[in-house]
Amino acid sequence: MSATPAPDPLLSVRDLTVTVRGEAGERTLIDGVSLDLAKGEILGLVGESGSGKSLLCRALVRLLPSRALAIAGGSVRLAGRELTTASTAEMEAVRGGAIGMIFQNPSSHLDPVMRVGDQISEGVIFHRKLDRVAARAEAVAIMEQVGFTDPARQYSNYPHEFSGGMRQRAMIAVALACDPDILIADEPTTALDVTIQAQILRLLMELRERRGLSIILITHDLGVVAQTCDRIAVMRQGGVVETGAKRQILTSPQHPYTRALIASHPSMPVDYEASEVDDQASQADQAQPFAPAPTPPLAPRPLVEIDDLQVRYPVGGGVFTRRRFFSALAGVSLQIMPGETVGIVGESGSGKSTLARAMLGLSPISDGHVTFDGDSLRLTPAATLARMRREAAMVFQDPFNSLNPRFTIGETLAEVLRVHGKVAPSAIPARVEELLRLVELDPALAVRRPRQLSGGQCQRAGIARALAVDPRLIVADECVAALDVTIQAQIVDLFRRLVATMDLTLVFIAHDLAIVRHLCQRVVVMHHGRIVEEGPCAEVFARPREAYTAALIAAIPDIDPDRRLLMPPASVLSS
Amino acid sequence: MSGAAATRRLSPTLLVGLGILGLFALAALAAPVIAPYDPIYQEATARLQPPSFAHPFGTDNFGRDILSRIIFGARVDLQMAAIGVFFPFVIGTFIGALAGFFGGLVDAVLMRLIDIILAFPFLVLMLSIIAILGPGLSSFYIAMALVGWVSYARLIRAQILVLKTADYAVAAVSLGFSKPRVLFRHLLPNAVAGSVVFCMSDAVLVLLSGAAISYLGLGVQPPTAEWGIMVAEGQAFLSQAWWITLFPGLSIVVLAFGFSLIGDALGEMMGVHE
Amino acid sequence: MHRYSFILTRPLQFLPVVFGVSLITFILVRLIPGDPARVLLGARATPTAIANIRAQYGLDEPLWLQYFYFLRNLLHGEMGTSIVYKIDVLRLIATRIEPTLALVVASVVLSILIAVPLAALAARHQGRPIDHVIRIVSTFGIGFPPFWLGLMLIILLAVTVPIFPVSGYGDTLFQKLAHLFLPALTIALSLSTVLLRSLRAAMVDWLKSDVATAARARGVPESVVFWRHVLPNSIAPSINLLAVNIGWLIGGTVVIESIFALPGMGQLLVRAIFSRDYMVVQGVAMVFACATVMVNFLADIATVAADPRVKL
Repeated sequence: MSATPAPDPLLSVRDLTVTVRGEAGERTLIDGVSLDLAKGEILGLVGESGSGKSLLCRALVRLLPSRALAIAGGSVRLAGRELTTASTAEMEAVRGGAIGMIFQNPSSHLDPVMRVGDQISEGVIFHRKLDRVAARAEAVAIMEQVGFTDPARQYSNYPHEFSGGMRQRAMIAVALACDPDILIADEPTTALDVTIQAQILRLLMELRERRGLSIILITHDLGVVAQTCDRIAVMRQGGVVETGAKRQILTSPQHPYTRALIASHPSMPVDYEASEVDDQASQADQAQPFAPAPTPPLAPRPLVEIDDLQVRYPVGGGVFTRRRFFSALAGVSLQIMPGETVGIVGESGSGKSTLARAMLGLSPISDGHVTFDGDSLRLTPAATLARMRREAAMVFQDPFNSLNPRFTIGETLAEVLRVHGKVAPSAIPARVEELLRLVELDPALAVRRPRQLSGGQCQRAGIARALAVDPRLIVADECVAALDVTIQAQIVDLFRRLVATMDLTLVFIAHDLAIVRHLCQRVVVMHHGRIVEEGPCAEVFARPREAYTAALIAAIPDIDPDRRLLMPPASVLSS
Repeated sequence: MSGAAATRRLSPTLLVGLGILGLFALAALAAPVIAPYDPIYQEATARLQPPSFAHPFGTDNFGRDILSRIIFGARVDLQMAAIGVFFPFVIGTFIGALAGFFGGLVDAVLMRLIDIILAFPFLVLMLSIIAILGPGLSSFYIAMALVGWVSYARLIRAQILVLKTADYAVAAVSLGFSKPRVLFRHLLPNAVAGSVVFCMSDAVLVLLSGAAISYLGLGVQPPTAEWGIMVAEGQAFLSQAWWITLFPGLSIVVLAFGFSLIGDALGEMMGVHE
Repeated sequence: MHRYSFILTRPLQFLPVVFGVSLITFILVRLIPGDPARVLLGARATPTAIANIRAQYGLDEPLWLQYFYFLRNLLHGEMGTSIVYKIDVLRLIATRIEPTLALVVASVVLSILIAVPLAALAARHQGRPIDHVIRIVSTFGIGFPPFWLGLMLIILLAVTVPIFPVSGYGDTLFQKLAHLFLPALTIALSLSTVLLRSLRAAMVDWLKSDVATAARARGVPESVVFWRHVLPNSIAPSINLLAVNIGWLIGGTVVIESIFALPGMGQLLVRAIFSRDYMVVQGVAMVFACATVMVNFLADIATVAADPRVKL
């Protein structure tokens, strides 16, 4: 694809402006956006949360989420036809028929009480005026195209009977059923595991090839853009700050915000097999200046020792049926040395969060041992738990949900200090301020409640609460997963500084391998409740011994477009 | 789209609701001052008089002024609603919180008990208990406390079960906070929002039940002015003097409307759906 | 496990509930002050006559033994003999069950007929005048005392404009329906307001939901979005609400039957309580409680049918 927009674009947006009527008058949400989309082109729309990228796409098909929103100006031309002034009936024909949409969360966008197949044939009936039988046949054919293995049978299944990846395929089938020219994909892979993400992205690109489909791909992940798109538009605060060909934007970004976005992207360092010299030369890699110190030479005994740990949950089973169990952890053994920074990675359902909670005595153990600094949770539960509570702390994924909404940040921290009694009551306010400074929060924010803070600020407060315990061990469970990339980078930096300056052992749980590669010395790869591989980060990522680890690494979309997204071996992903 | 600013501002729904409730409360407090007649004084010469300037809501078969009886009735009916909600709320919240938080055997036993109580038609159980205790307001309150806590217990238990898995609850446990602290300082304050909203629809329920019990002759005893009794007293004269029945019933409807509006507004403010 | 297999296993869970209900009923009835024998024979009865009656109805046995007999007889389908009517309680109830059942069914049907179209109308015009009117009227409706509403309907539709009969039940189907209409309407007007508000709230939420957005995004016309996606999704939560309120409604029949002189179980119960007719109070309460349990069971089945995700 050429760097300049095609001469006769399929879709042309000029100065599109969307405003909201509020109590304080009108506010502009989309500010004079202009874009072009050529036939067969994939345009990446990149931005962080609140940048207006989703709203822009809704505005294109005039599906604004509220009656208070309105298109205040500009034009949207589809193959020469103006859409902003088209009638309702015309728009109904355009939606689905010319412009299809798929969404981030297929679980909430598919009708839970309607069969998947019926949802696919619904659009066929409206746009292609087929009867029910013909529509059904068409739907089955499309389901096969997007990767359903037994479409005739799966037609009659309900959405909740499918996995997340299959639901997204169903969503794509729903959109394709109406045979659109343009597909708008709004964060289509954000809720999915990396290996599934790779499959879905591959599917989208295949569809583009086969059908000549034009795609607008909305994403926050520059890696996804680098791997799939032809052109990129970077959005911020309702406006497009920069637009151009993919390589041009990625290699020589003009706008400072674009540069910041690219710098924040957690990429895997280039080619481990090559020499270290290569590594330092790479501009994209920022890990080296902060490379963690080597493991202390003499570690007398592990801080946490986990031996054949099993956690099972009962599932179903009633009066007449035998109780069945789901094994969240099926025999995990792990040692964590004092001062170490260990990353635990795995896809959803791998048991990594269960491990984190079991490690701190927060979920019941079915079998095996957890030992904290020599005290066994099995043999002396009360004493061990008491020590854990005073010497270990946890940081959670959802920054808002992890803080009590009724307490101010100051109250939250002060309560911890008061309960633990390590600080004299009179010294508590000073310590609260000190903790806030430690996590680089303005102490003036102590009087705010979580709802009055941003996600990043809340996460810092959550870290401050963990530090208030004055812990030897911090377990961070997916604590950057819900944050924007630029904030993500800041929090990871914060952790790195804390580990470097304080006597801290860090267990960092993440699904994002690149972040773990940057932060941790050692990595543990989990799959189906078991540890499949563990070892020093550099070693594991450079030369994975297990096929699953290799597949996981290969599935990460790299920000360098020349490092193609590999299809991992199918056998590993059959799960 | 309701931002922080929108929830701060008092909604018109809330204002109207509070206005209605305030009006009745004022009538109850100042009844002796504002009521034009003595509510139990029987004026033999003014029996069954239709609404007029002297008697805006008419008079009943004993020649008592309906308006005055409604104003004095507000005292009884408001008290019924308040006490009839308060005890079930406190008892139910406490029991529901314990059941949801501790689970296990306590929870299982309490839930079965709740199932059993819910299996009885509400009014049947109320009538039976009042039959045991003898007619009167205090019997009504005791019956209400014995039966009404069930809804609150179920609500709070469900909320606590959800909040127990919230990250901030897990965080509180992981920080070594004691169980009472986790339950009463962190979970319960976040769990009661739904119950507070439910209080308002429950107040309507209690008001209607209290009036129904009095209507059946098992609540407040005559000649005390109470809206349910007044409806019952008017029933015999329905075709001759509709006003005896109409106005006390309307009072119940309007007061209940006030409670419902407050409940709606609170629900919207707290983001709670019933 | 099949999704509907709970239909076979669930009734087992009813046993403890029914047992608890029987125990509570038994205790409550014994706690009611007053000696039924004395009530029956009047103030001037001789001690011997009273003792005879007490022996005849087993009232002189210790309480636990009375409960044991009560349970044993219950298992044989016997609920004793009415002290007042002098006939078998079960047979007495059998003669009274039809009007009550008919009243409940008619009320539910009527309230659904009122609630669903109005909720749909309000939700589809959310924030517009018609929505406000429906909301305000339904909010008013919640506070209507059924006994008062019944009287008002009598004034309007039986006294002022004599369309419907005021009281009684009748013999032919047509007569019965005519007699049922006012009491059923009274209950339906109260019940439908609750139903309407819950339905409308659910519909408004689903109209804003991702499901509706996705349907619109594939060009489905607004009316189809509503009837095929919003309505089916909005029904499930209302089923449960309806079940809870039917329990309420069964109790409400006590008052309504008194007002309209319908010869049903509610009327029977009120009279039995006043006349200390132990066996009848026990029997009617048991039947009411079992009916409530049954309704909730039916609601569970309906919920599973309405929402493929629900597993019980």
